[in-house]
Amino acid sequence: MGPLIPLEIITGQWDFVIALLIGSAFGFILEASGFSSSRNIAGVFYGYNFVVLRVFFTAMIVAMVGYLYFSYLGWIDMNLVFVLPTYLNSMLLGGFIMGLGFVIGGFCPGTSYTAAAIGKIDGIVFAGGVFFGIFLFSEFFPFYEGFYTENYLGNVTIGEMLGVSNEIVAFAFVVVAIVAFYATWLIEKRVRKNMTEYKFE
Amino acid sequence: MKEELFISGRDIPYIDPYLNIWHWEIPVYLFLGGLAAGIMFFAGYFTIMHKEKEMQATVKFAPMLVPFALVLGLIALFLDLKHQLYFWRLYTTIRFESPMSWGAWTLMLVTPLSFIWAASYMKDVFPKWDWKFKFLDQIIDFIIEYRKTMAWAMMILAVILGVYTGILLSAFNARPLWNTSILGVLFLVSGMSTGLAAIIWMSKSKYERKVLSRLDLIFIAVELFLIIHLFMGFLAASEVQIEAAQLFLGGEFTVIFWVFVIILGLIFPAILEILELRGFHIPIWIPSLLILIGGLVFRYVMVEAGQITRYLY
Amino acid sequence: MDKKIGLKKRPVYINPYFGGILLGLLILTSFYIAGRGLSASGALKLTIVEIVDVIAPEHAENNTYYNRFLPEDGGSPLFNWLVFGAIGTFFGGMLSGAIFGRLGKLRIEKSAKISNRTRLIAAGVGGTLFGIGSQFSRGCSSGAALSGTSALSFGGLIVMLVMFGVGYAFAYFFRKLWI
Repeated sequence: MGPLIPLEIITGQWDFVIALLIGSAFGFILEASGFSSSRNIAGVFYGYNFVVLRVFFTAMIVAMVGYLYFSYLGWIDMNLVFVLPTYLNSMLLGGFIMGLGFVIGGFCPGTSYTAAAIGKIDGIVFAGGVFFGIFLFSEFFPFYEGFYTENYLGNVTIGEMLGVSNEIVAFAFVVVAIVAFYATWLIEKRVRKNMTEYKFE
Repeated sequence: MKEELFISGRDIPYIDPYLNIWHWEIPVYLFLGGLAAGIMFFAGYFTIMHKEKEMQATVKFAPMLVPFALVLGLIALFLDLKHQLYFWRLYTTIRFESPMSWGAWTLMLVTPLSFIWAASYMKDVFPKWDWKFKFLDQIIDFIIEYRKTMAWAMMILAVILGVYTGILLSAFNARPLWNTSILGVLFLVSGMSTGLAAIIWMSKSKYERKVLSRLDLIFIAVELFLIIHLFMGFLAASEVQIEAAQLFLGGEFTVIFWVFVIILGLIFPAILEILELRGFHIPIWIPSLLILIGGLVFRYVMVEAGQITRYLY
Repeated sequence: MDKKIGLKKRPVYINPYFGGILLGLLILTSFYIAGRGLSASGALKLTIVEIVDVIAPEHAENNTYYNRFLPEDGGSPLFNWLVFGAIGTFFGGMLSGAIFGRLGKLRIEKSAKISNRTRLIAAGVGGTLFGIGSQFSRGCSSGAALSGTSALSFGGLIVMLVMFGVGYAFAYFFRKLWI
């Protein structure tokens, strides 16, 4: 019966040791899939390397379907799993700024750690930038504290928000994913015709 | 915050029932002492095996660090003393039943020995070095004749130096975490492993790194074995030892110990070293640095946690 | 198409679908064990809180943002699932780089058409924007988009859609950096 830590089946500080191990696997998989190169990641926006989309979507549908199956089999109590609180305005703005940052910097914080780990200076600079950005945000927080907390919709799931059951949402995701995989495969073939190098180290 | 209220005659501040007098100086000294012991042991060993030519960093370059390490360690010890002006009293007596006396005298012998060893190799390491006095040159030539004897002395004294730190802690009967005989060997093996890591970092020859990496892997494996058996011993002993072990198995020191000492300080560098031996290219400073940091954190955790454990209440 | 690149120089990556399956299983494991996913930016935020707390404790108390993350019992904010996850991500990436031969000396990776300085400035600016944005959306791409959407949170979905949508919208303007 899970999740194990909120149910106190694993107690004490062991959960941080497990966090380290899970984080290591996370970093390993990211780096092995090619996320330690900003040029691979930025390829999703220009059509020459869709590794981001493939890994992201596959991971999401596997995790989603698995999660729903676990819940159906009684292995996980869905109420104890952390669902993001939805602050509509703040999240829209955040997504906007992050999108800009993504396309300019070519990394996201997790991948910048793996890039820094293999010696990429731009990964280290990106991580430093994230650090600085969070610091700036925190210092100027009183100015937009109201904006940060307005329009709170609670810890809603997609299903609750759209009024359908979560299983249908997962199914829709899988369908969208398969369509996306096919479409991006076609786009990639087209774009790569004009390029010699599209897989970077 | 865990608050405990008790009414007792046992309330000596900082000593009873919680010991809280050893701070950062002692772990720093334990680490530097172990490092020096490791380097000296292998310098002596490879000299005796007539391998000076193949293992240059072990025999010549790394022992240059040892005098600094020992002097810094002694300064740390000095800073920790309460009555610092009376430190010399340690050397007015030899008490065979006291590990601290053993340690003081061993250090007294080892420190000049390491200086002499380093001095005898000064011309090899710094080709332009000039002793400036003829009689010094003669002394150095005399010393070079007796390198074999010095190597034997260094090896034996290095083992004593590495072991006595653990025996010193285990002599504290009132600290259940420390009062175990495995600690002596564990500190020795940990010191050797950190010494090897330091030498590997300084080494420039592939052959030397290969030999030392293999040795280092053996020592890491032994260290892991000893740590596991340390905890097995605690969990099979009386209630105070079980409580002491619980500090590391879910208590407040769990994450620092398992993450920084075991996983990042022993297992991960061992994996990197195995990969290096198999032919994957790994920058050599990464496993060495991790092992060194792991050794320091290990000693810090043992000193901190040991002072918290106690009998009764 | 790839005749110009010799077989030795082509980087070895695992199949992205396979990587995605592994990643999905990992997120599932993370849900099963801890009831939450990983978030890389969360770790940096807690580090900043700790640093501010050490340097200027009263400022950390007064600022309502830092105050949220200081634990009530006076412990360090660094004792958190996210921080150790981030440390693990770093070393896991290092291990993978070691195995696949990408762990090497410090280097800057960029398109041949821009200078090193441009790339570093872009990385810095991008990072800063990401830092600010991640705080507004309470998670970065791994925390909000990946783990959040996998747990079926609506917030995660919005963040992911907006992030990629904006990326696509503005990709044209920054194409000089990449293509």
